[in-house]
Amino acid sequence: MLAQKFEEAGLSTVMVTMMPYWAEKLGTPRALGVEVPFGHTLGVPGDHEMQMSIIRAALSLLEQAREPGEARDVGIEWPQPSDEARKDWQPLEPSPIIKMMRERAQAQAQQARSQDPATRGS
Amino acid sequence: MPVDSFKYLPRSIAAYYQTLRVERADPIPWTPLSKPLNECRFALVTTAGIYVKDREAPFDAEREKREPMWGDPTYRRILRDAWQDQIGASHLHLNNRDILEDVNIVLPVHRFAELEAQGVIGSLAPTNYSFMGYQPDTNEWRERYGPEVARLMKDEAVDAVLLTPA
Repeated sequence: MLAQKFEEAGLSTVMVTMMPYWAEKLGTPRALGVEVPFGHTLGVPGDHEMQMSIIRAALSLLEQAREPGEARDVGIEWPQPSDEARKDWQPLEPSPIIKMMRERAQAQAQQARSQDPATRGS
Repeated sequence: MPVDSFKYLPRSIAAYYQTLRVERADPIPWTPLSKPLNECRFALVTTAGIYVKDREAPFDAEREKREPMWGDPTYRRILRDAWQDQIGASHLHLNNRDILEDVNIVLPVHRFAELEAQGVIGSLAPTNYSFMGYQPDTNEWRERYGPEVARLMKDEAVDAVLLTPA
């Protein structure tokens, strides 16, 4: 959406995204998909080569795209096993919205238990 | 193999995301690239919630803790010569450790300075921008801060923008 606002103002944009699914749904002018954990759009810290290869792919897309909505992917081998990477990008403390949703789910579960005749009084 | 957008999301969140409906821009706004890359001035824009310490305030994480359905819609300016140890991060939805080690993974200011020196791009603008990507309501971005940052970039004669949502 920021990309759309920038294009409207006369700027050419290219977006690198780990969520090309959303880029396509929203109508992103030029989108380069990359399979990396959140918070690591251009790769591994200190990995100059990986960062540059993603940037160069983005610059090629910017240069070559001829019509709005053009999307392509760049192949990246993430160095961590995916289960580990899935945990590693997440904050040490759950975000406020996640905390709130968990508390609500717990409260609902508790309420359901207290209303269930099978568990009442147990 | 195509990129799996949901690979690194917890399953419950991935399932929830896939039920959301969004409105696709029609037509998609479009500005053709007007000159070769080696004549273009670039600016960089991330949503990683970074800021330059002692220069601007962090994003308002305290209000988000009180109001979890709110995310700070403002932006911060990251000058191209910011040093790594000046970078702070206030994004409650990410582990910021790797960004504090190497800002280039979300805002490649040092990589773009290298591309400028190599003559691959014309130049990197003096100012780059950081938003905080948790925005349950994107109205302020659409109506106020997106157009405002676009104007600031135009004032610095920017031609092209690399966006790196985090």
